[in-house]
This record gives sequence, structure tokens and C-alpha cells, in this order.
Amino acid sequence: MTDALRQFLSRHPGVVRLAVVVAILIVWEIAARFFIDPMFIAPPSRVIASLGAVWDTSGVPAALRITLFELAVAFAISTIIGLTVGLAVGLQPFARRSVMPIILLLYGLPQITILPIFILLFGIGPPSKIAFGVTHGTFAIIIAIVAGVQNLKPILLTSARSMGASRWQILRWVVFPHMIPSFFAGMRLGMSGVLLGVLLAELYVSTQGIGHFTTMFTETFDPTKLFGLIAMLAVMAITLNEIVRRAEIRFSRWR
Amino acid sequence: MTSRDAAIRIRGVSHQFGEAGDKQFVRALADTSLDIARGELLCLIGPSGCGKSTLLNVIGGLMTPSRGSVDVAGKPVRGPMPRDIAFIFQENALFPWNTIVENVRLGMLFQGVPKSEHETRAKKSLEAVGLAEFADHYPAQLSGGMRQRAALARALSLETDILLMDEPFGALDEQTRMILGEDLSVLLSRTEKTIVFVTHSLGEAVFLADRVAVFSARPGTVKKIIKVDEPHPRRPEFVTSEKFTALRNELYALLHDEIRKTVSESASARGGG
Amino acid sequence: MEFRKERVGAGGRAVQIGFLLVLLALWYLATNRWGVNRLLLPNPISVWHQLLDVLRTGEYLPDLRVTLTELAAAFSLSLTFGTVIGFFVSRTGYTIRVFDPLFAGIYSIPIILFLPLYVLFFGLGPASKIALGATISFFPIVLSTIAGFGNVDRTLVTAARAMGASNYHLFRYVLLPAALPVILGGIRMGFTVALLSIIGSETLASLAGLGHHIVQLAEGMDMPRMFAYIVFVVAIAALLNGIVSFLEARGRRWA
Repeated sequence: MTDALRQFLSRHPGVVRLAVVVAILIVWEIAARFFIDPMFIAPPSRVIASLGAVWDTSGVPAALRITLFELAVAFAISTIIGLTVGLAVGLQPFARRSVMPIILLLYGLPQITILPIFILLFGIGPPSKIAFGVTHGTFAIIIAIVAGVQNLKPILLTSARSMGASRWQILRWVVFPHMIPSFFAGMRLGMSGVLLGVLLAELYVSTQGIGHFTTMFTETFDPTKLFGLIAMLAVMAITLNEIVRRAEIRFSRWR
Repeated sequence: MTSRDAAIRIRGVSHQFGEAGDKQFVRALADTSLDIARGELLCLIGPSGCGKSTLLNVIGGLMTPSRGSVDVAGKPVRGPMPRDIAFIFQENALFPWNTIVENVRLGMLFQGVPKSEHETRAKKSLEAVGLAEFADHYPAQLSGGMRQRAALARALSLETDILLMDEPFGALDEQTRMILGEDLSVLLSRTEKTIVFVTHSLGEAVFLADRVAVFSARPGTVKKIIKVDEPHPRRPEFVTSEKFTALRNELYALLHDEIRKTVSESASARGGG
Repeated sequence: MEFRKERVGAGGRAVQIGFLLVLLALWYLATNRWGVNRLLLPNPISVWHQLLDVLRTGEYLPDLRVTLTELAAAFSLSLTFGTVIGFFVSRTGYTIRVFDPLFAGIYSIPIILFLPLYVLFFGLGPASKIALGATISFFPIVLSTIAGFGNVDRTLVTAARAMGASNYHLFRYVLLPAALPVILGGIRMGFTVALLSIIGSETLASLAGLGHHIVQLAEGMDMPRMFAYIVFVVAIAALLNGIVSFLEARGRRWA
């Protein structure tokens, strides 16, 4: 390898990363074309070629829109509940010490076990997906907010107090600016949680959302369309995550 | 010293943490009385845990003593007195999400300085500490020494008569301490502020103070007060003079046993030597 | 930013116990006095009876065996691959810069999304659960291994080398103890995530296992027994997680 090439690669690890991904795709392509039964796996070339066909399958665009809607609503509700509960609990030391263990306990439970109950309660339509997303996202946000309050250095509060700051001034000028990165970290975790919850519920049972189509493509042994649809969902998930992640970085500049 | 000259009067202050019999019980400060004159710079020096920081917090109204009282400018201290007292802490107390100038202005907002004066005061104090060019930087972008200068600027802009400094240079390296000490002396020779300064460093105490109060080991009380009769601003040559060395040696002699006592106490508390 | 567990005083404990009691009381009243539909929320007393019955008859055994086997297989796979790959990636700063973002990026989306693909390829049997569980739990393990070994203080390595340490000495006495706390944290996370994803995939697409049994009972509308199973599964999950946490704490002290 020439020196110039080596220098270029060492300064751009992203290029090597891309090369790794491409290598994996090539292995996948070869394996799918020549070694494995086409009923179970589809080569990436064919998947990409048929993305248009997936999109044209009746009901798929609508299903994607509905899923996006479920995600948006679940995220909004989780954020509102998560922020209010997180701040209310986090700022009051007694509430924090007694309530947080309960929240942690609930957060650690395998919520997937009660998914059937959510369906029974809310039906098989979007409301159950939204509700399941909310339960996943809210806990994550509450925990992130409380963690943010916990790492406010007491010396900053003492300093403000020594300069004569009132309670309101302390909240406005010390606590609030400190919490902004935590808000965004909470929203990032909340988005992950909501994605997980909504998608799990969709995969369980769905008549209008994309879960309906993943089931259909699986039962008809159509790996090409299935890969394609799931790739679209993965891209959607990555995009949503990226948006929240970038927002977090932008607002945490002072750290 | 008459009560008119004394900016700060400390009467019989003692403090303990917890109740006798508690696992966490600590007698931090034993019966301490002291008068601090207007315009003087008094250093509190002593072994770790002797209560000098506790005393500083009591003077500043951040802590109520178990016993005793403090009068500042003739008034009894019952809580923070932001119009009269400004603090500088060892730990960095600048708000990391604000720039330097925003930090300075925030202090004035808290104290209640009218908005119209914020700009001029901030500019003046930043120039006084030599940070005028860094006004729009964030604390994370500055060195430790510059951060403490910024903390000083914030305190100065509050235009209080009294400045309480708790080991402000403790986290800095020797060279930065030296420079900051000299600059502090120059700065303070121009103002009439009363300053109480806690430090661990013998050289720093002799260089900066008009008087040095030496504390005994815990529970601390004032063992002896040493006078440093040298005009401000202290010149760098003072440090190499015989007078300086003699004073420093005196401090060393007073402190050495107290420090040994403290170290052996804490070692035996941990079950080993 | 980590959430910090705080000490709970007597008052805090009272709140927690009170919370549980109030919850149980509300449950009882809801089904016995306030006429909440038994099809949604069964009588707690019958749930209790069903739970005892399940435990007594050992009806849970076959499903438990399936779930635990899947868990063991998945976790062994992810543990082995995760730690080994993580170690080798951590060896140079360059490989870390290439692979760490790649792993982190994939882990940021809910990998459970790929369940239909795994089911299509491996079928509805244990293999798909094991494969998915191994895939999902691989990531926290590999990421924490990279972080653990990659962040060992260079000064320690230099000092050891200066004293003549061989490669083995370096690994055994410097790298491993320094990296262990972080790695153990990742392993515990990997275990939790493996358990969740296995129960999850059993719920969504399976013929056996605890998750599947709950779904079966839901479809048969046998609410009291389903609730009993949920309690049982949650208890098992808590027990397993507790054991792993305990082992993690022990492991840290040994390091």
C-alpha cells in the first residue's frame, strides 16, 4: 500500500468502515445467490431492486405513515409525562429517594410480558402501539432527568446563594440551564424506548401498521420484500435517532 | 481595636457536625474569637480539618454556628449577606453554561445591582483581573488560573466591602499561584477591602497577609496571630528577604506539630500508621 | 451521565411499601367492588390461586427449560464473540475509530426489528430466538469490552513494560483488572438484554417458551392464569438479573 493511501486511510476511518460494510454486503450477496435457499434469504442486489415494488405494494406507504404517526404521538406523550414527573421527583430530595427505586423497579421489568394485556385493553389498532411506546419511553426519560438533577454540583447552588439569588433565580439561572443537556439526553433515550415499544407492538399484532406487512411477507416466504420493508424501517429508526442525537449535541455545547 | 475599626467581629464561635454519640460526630471548631480590622487581609492557616473553612462559612452566613456569633459591619450575621460579603471558593463555582462575562453579570443580577450598571462594572472588573479579551469564552476553554481570575472578577464586580476566599489557589500549580498572588496583592492595594483568606501554603500566607491566624489541630481554635508588617502592594523581592524567611519559619514552627498531630490522628482512625 | 442510587431512609421505605399496598388494595377493589371487567383485570385472589397451582403442578417446567436453554445458548455466543472481538478491536486506536461507531450505530436501533428475518431463516423454533438473542446482546458486550480495554491508562502500561512485563503479564495483571469493571457492566447489560429479547421473541413468534405460553393464555382469554404466568416470569427475570448483578459486584471486587 502506498504511503499516500495509507495516510489517507488513517485520517479517514469512516472510509475503512464503509469498506467493511461493503465487504459484508458482498459476502451476503454471494451467500444468498449461491449457497442458501432463496426461500429464506435474499441477496442485497435484489432487495434494493425491489424496494420500489415494496413501496408499491398496496397499503405499505399508508402503513409506514401510520407507524410514523404512532411513533410521533408516543414520543410526544412520553416527553411530556417524563419531563414533568422527572423534574417533580428529581428536584425534591425526599420524593427522589423514595420514588426512584419504584421507578427503577418498574423500568427493569420485562414489559413485553404485558404486551397481550395492552392489546386487550387498547385493541389491535394504533392506540395500543402508542400506549406500549409510551410506557417504554417515559421511564427512560424520567431516569435521565433525575440523573441530570443529581449531577448538579452543590457548589454552584452555594455560590448562587452566597450572591443573594432567590429561589426563583436559582431555578431560572442555575438549575434550568444545567438541565438542558439532560432534557435532550432524556429525549434521546425516550426516542429509543418509543421506537422499541411501538415496533414490538407492531410486530405482535397489527392490521394497519407495518407489522401487518412483515407478517404477510414472512408467511408468504417473500424474503426480498421482507428485507426491503425492514430496511426501510431501519432507515426510519436511524433517522429519528440521528435527529434527536444531533439536537442533543447541539444543545450540550458547553459541556 | 474599637468596634468602629472592626469590620468583622467573631465571638465565641464553635461548631460541631452531628450530635455527640453519632458515628458522624465531628467537633470542627472550638471556641474562637477574633476581630478583623477594616481594610486588612487576614489569613487563616492550619492543618487539614482544623475548621478554618468552617469558620469562613460561618462568617459569610453560609452556616449557622453551634455556638457563638459573628458581626459584620456592625450587624449580626444570620444568612448570606451578598451586599457586604463576596465569596471565592476553591472548587470552580463558575456556571459552565455561561461565558465569563455572563457569569459576572449573573452575580450582579443575584445581588440586585441595577441593570444599567452591569455593563460598566463587568468591564471594569474583567480588566482589573486581566481577562478583558476572554469575556466571551466559556470556563471550559480557560486554564485553572484564568478561571479563578474570573471568579475574582465576579466577586469584585459585586463591590462588597468584604471578600472571603477559601483556598482559591489550592487547585493551581506553584507558578500560577505565584503570579496570581502577586497580582492579587497589587489589585488589593488599590481597594479598601477587608479580606479573609484561607490557605494551606505558608509562603502564600506570609506574602499576602497583614496578619496570619494560625489554627491548632481539630477541634481548631486560634493558636497564635502573627503580624506581617509590610506595605501593600507586596513586591516580588519580599519573598527572598530575611524578614519573609523569618516569618515563614515562625509559621512552620507553629504548624509543624499541629500537622503531625492531625496526620497521626487520622491514621489511627483508619487503623494503621 | 449515570443515575446514582441514593440511600433510602425510614420515611422513604414507608412510601415504597405504602405504594405497593395501595396498588394491591386498588387492584382488589377494582375487581371485587367497582365492577371492572374481569376479562381485563382478573380478581387478584384467583390470580394468586392460579399462581400456586402453576407452581405446584410444575406446569411451567417445559417452557422454562426452553427459555433458559435459549438464554444460555444466546448468552454464551454473545459473551464469547463480544469479548474476543472487543479485545482485538481495542488493540489500536485506529481499529477502535473504525469499528466502535459501527457497532454503536447498529445498536442504536431496535434490533428486534429483524425478528421476522430471523424467523424466516431459522423457523419458529429455538434457533431463531437464540440467534436474535445472541445478536442483540453481542453489542453491549463488545462495546463495553472495547471501552474497557481501550481506556486503560497508558501510564500503567508504560510502567509495567518498563518493569519488564511480558505480553501475558501485561494482559493478566494490568489490562484485565483495569478493564474488568467496565466489561462486567457491559456483560450484565448483555445478559439483561438477551433475556428481554428472548422473552420478547417468544411472545412475538414462537411455538414454545415462557413468552409464548403467556400469549397462548391471552388468546384463550384465561386471564387469571395469564396474570399468574406474568407474575412468575417477572419474578424469574428479577431473580436472574439479581444473580447476574451479584456476580458482577463480586467480579468487580476481585479485579
